[in-house]
Amino acid sequence: MELLLTNLAHGFGVALSLQNISFALLGALIGTAIGVLPGIGPVATISLLLPITFGLPATTAIIMLAGIFYGAQYGGSTTAILLNLPGEVSSVVTTLEGYKMARNGRAGAALATAALGSFFAGSIATILVAASGPLLTQVALSFGPADYFSLMLLGLIIACVLAQGSIIKAVGMVVLGVALGLVGTDVQTGQQRFTFGIPELSDGIGFVPIAMGMFGIAEIVLNLERPESRSVLSSKVGSLWLTKDEFKRATPAVLRGTVVGSFLGILPGGGASLAAFGSYMMERKMSKGRHMFGQGAIEGVAGPEAANNAAAQTSFIPLLTLGIPSNAVMALMVGALIIQGIQPGPRMVEAQPDLFWGLIASMWIGNLMLLVINLPMIGMWVKLLQVPYRFLYPSILVFCCIGVYSLNNNVFDVYMTVLFTVFGYMCNKLKLEPAPLLIGFVLGPMMEEHLRRAMLLSRGDWSVFIQRPISATMLGIAATALALMLLPNIRKGKDKALAE
Amino acid sequence: MFGKLTRRHALMAAAAFGPTPALAQAWPVQPIRLIVPFAPGGTTDLIARLVATPLQERLGQPIIIENRPGAGATVGSLMAAQAAPDGYTLVLSNIASHGISPTLYPNIRYDAVRDFSHIALLTLNPSVFVANPRAGISNMADFARVHRASPRGLDMASSGAGSSNHLLIVRMGQILGREINHIPFRGAGPAMTAVIGGQVPLMSDSLPSAASHIRQGSVRAIAMSSAERHPSFPDVPTLREQGYDLVTSSWFGLSGPARLPQPVVERLSREVRAILAMPEIRARFAEIGGTAGEFSPEEYSNFVSSEVASWATLVRESGAQPD
Amino acid sequence: MQLKINAKDLASGIFLVLVALVGLYLNQDHSLGTARRMGPGYMPMMVFYIQAGLGALVIFFSLFSGPDPLEKWTKMDWGSLALGIAAGTLAWKLSPSVWGFFGQTYNAVGLGITVGFLVMAISAGWKLLAIICAAVALFGLILEKGGFFAALTAVILVSCVAEHTHTKKGVAGLLVFLLVLCWWVFIYELDIRVNLWPQS
Repeated sequence: MELLLTNLAHGFGVALSLQNISFALLGALIGTAIGVLPGIGPVATISLLLPITFGLPATTAIIMLAGIFYGAQYGGSTTAILLNLPGEVSSVVTTLEGYKMARNGRAGAALATAALGSFFAGSIATILVAASGPLLTQVALSFGPADYFSLMLLGLIIACVLAQGSIIKAVGMVVLGVALGLVGTDVQTGQQRFTFGIPELSDGIGFVPIAMGMFGIAEIVLNLERPESRSVLSSKVGSLWLTKDEFKRATPAVLRGTVVGSFLGILPGGGASLAAFGSYMMERKMSKGRHMFGQGAIEGVAGPEAANNAAAQTSFIPLLTLGIPSNAVMALMVGALIIQGIQPGPRMVEAQPDLFWGLIASMWIGNLMLLVINLPMIGMWVKLLQVPYRFLYPSILVFCCIGVYSLNNNVFDVYMTVLFTVFGYMCNKLKLEPAPLLIGFVLGPMMEEHLRRAMLLSRGDWSVFIQRPISATMLGIAATALALMLLPNIRKGKDKALAE
Repeated sequence: MFGKLTRRHALMAAAAFGPTPALAQAWPVQPIRLIVPFAPGGTTDLIARLVATPLQERLGQPIIIENRPGAGATVGSLMAAQAAPDGYTLVLSNIASHGISPTLYPNIRYDAVRDFSHIALLTLNPSVFVANPRAGISNMADFARVHRASPRGLDMASSGAGSSNHLLIVRMGQILGREINHIPFRGAGPAMTAVIGGQVPLMSDSLPSAASHIRQGSVRAIAMSSAERHPSFPDVPTLREQGYDLVTSSWFGLSGPARLPQPVVERLSREVRAILAMPEIRARFAEIGGTAGEFSPEEYSNFVSSEVASWATLVRESGAQPD
Repeated sequence: MQLKINAKDLASGIFLVLVALVGLYLNQDHSLGTARRMGPGYMPMMVFYIQAGLGALVIFFSLFSGPDPLEKWTKMDWGSLALGIAAGTLAWKLSPSVWGFFGQTYNAVGLGITVGFLVMAISAGWKLLAIICAAVALFGLILEKGGFFAALTAVILVSCVAEHTHTKKGVAGLLVFLLVLCWWVFIYELDIRVNLWPQS
């Protein structure tokens, strides 16, 4: 413990140098800015800025890149709440309750909750990384392909809870999402599936065209169709700050979200992408405000935002302790370190204590800065909603177009966005919900990969999924969750049928 | 902000000179686009950035790296093949796009030799077989013994189907007379995690991505696919030393579209070879387990065609599923 | 007991089943492999069977859970949809022989989408959706040849047609503001790789 404090103090000494702190601030600012812009993600930005970091000392470079990473995580939730524009999976969940809150005139409260929840979760997760990184690595390493498969299956079943309406239709959308995720090159054989000979599809359909089309642009069309609903958006602004009651409801949600997110974040095989909606499910089933879900429940913003940010911090653990990046942003950071002549890995703690502890301290500082940057900006963001909708929607459209194009510098993605706008519009008319589809789309490919790998390792023996304790536990939870979800639904259906 | 420092200047320069056709003598008068057919952060990207930094200083024009990943690195390579041969679009050619994919992807729309002006080989590095330290395998004799004795045979991970590492596993199985259970992953990182975690006992990996894990002792290197022992890892015996005549290496080079002006090729070849002779660059390459290349453009071009031919044989023998 | 059809659920169910059937048909190209070494067709097979089953369930329940009718389509809606698809397909197929530009990359597809939606926009039911989609498609069509500013202008002007409360002055102001803002954000600060002005 004492050692930890000494180390942390050393880390703060490093991170608080004028140069490091200004680059942390710069990173957080850039990150927030790109997070707000749809389509332009942290991966693109970091790869753009990579050459500039060559001239900086390694510690400063990595502190700035880390700042961009969590800045972008936070910035993404701003547009999700205000404009129903999710830039990545985690913010899909934020749109569910956050955008509803904004429509109820509680945009300020939703943004404040996101900022405070993220900061709290980030602080706790940072301490966790510092205190027990190596220990947590062992947990992550004990997850085999079979365990990941069961975890993903659990995730998909949980995704159905995101549905506001019919469970069966939601399951159908999850499966449809998994099917969309099949498009592209098969990882194990290299064969092209469902690509119709289009080279752009060989890496699969992009997440951003689907999310922009089904959420952002389809929502514009729907808003234009119902002029009455958007006047609500601009006239009711309400207090910017949390009411006492909201604060009371958000606090336990943040705590639960932090625990869920911290755990899932350490799993390099895709755990972090489960964090936000794992927490959403928990809140929807456990929190006091569960009856308000679907109408803008603050727990549904607080929990997932906390979980997401906690996972963003703990996803550094595999990088710092094993030298293995758990996502594309981390992979870029490894690249940056190697260019600086540093090999990330277990020996980094001893070989580069400045870097290691400086980075950890800067995580906390970065989170604090995000809070400082974002709290005063809430007022400005909310004002944005007061811009008449006839000026707002062309602006959103323009930003979406440029964002989508800049993903791959390819107009193909722009046309995909049109396709998914039409699809999203159709889904709305048929009361099919897009959120479960997107989650199926993201988890499906991972699930297939882990399934096939598990079966290769077990030589075709399906029992591996119940023989491994972790996997068996996950499947048990999944079965229980499914039963709990379906029972009331079936009973309701029966009642309805009988009544008629 | 900082993004603009390098790139905006590049664009301003581009605007100033505009679309006027640049004379070969004056080349380069505008920024050069270097297509990297892999995602940022990987070995290929890393090598591109290591070389591009000194190269842009020597050429006096910025080099803008554009990552165009996809379909076994063929998407970006196709772009380069179709670009104007004016010296302002180059590509980081490599074993995947210009060695294996031409055979693995029958629908490929470029010829790895004829549609490119090959300029220089940047670096070569061997593959290495690594094992989880608890797997009880420390050399190829152990490997063969355990593989033959165990009822289920051995599992071996690779960074992906169709990679040179995968083909090496298939070939090894053929030599041993029993198929090795190949477990493909999406990239070297996840595969290495599985080996360190003991989910899979063995892996065939490229040296750059395995080097740090071998040094840290989290995995044990059991054989190297180079002809000679690697200078950075003198303790690791080669496959050949252990009685298996398999020599392969992955490679990365610099190429442009076919019919690049001769002066441009010569200038680039000269500058790149000078860079590759720099002690800092050699040290960086050695750190990640590579050897700097020393080929002339003709030598590199011949090298590429011989690679295409030899991988074609391996791909067909292995029956690796293409299309 | 009387059947109360939930038309929305019925349509959803039919949609899910149809997609699954098409998927299963396309999946015939892929080898299934064995449970041990699953081929590229194994997972799609499972997914599409499950999806077809779920679709069937949705159809079954839709027979009792209504009524929840779909919005009525007018003759105009049907007509413009058919016309739009026809015009779009024609534009897509014929344009490459008219101008070489349409033979490159996805330009013909972009033109087809734009034309199709513009035709659909004549019916009131499709107007908003069609105009917004046409605006986005137009962006893709113009960007690489006509440059950043021309493409943005097209998106803004076309999308403004969707809203009747716009005034000429308002649109002009918005246009200038957005052009400057986008230039500052995407070109000056983020420096995305794109032509600013028309290319010869």
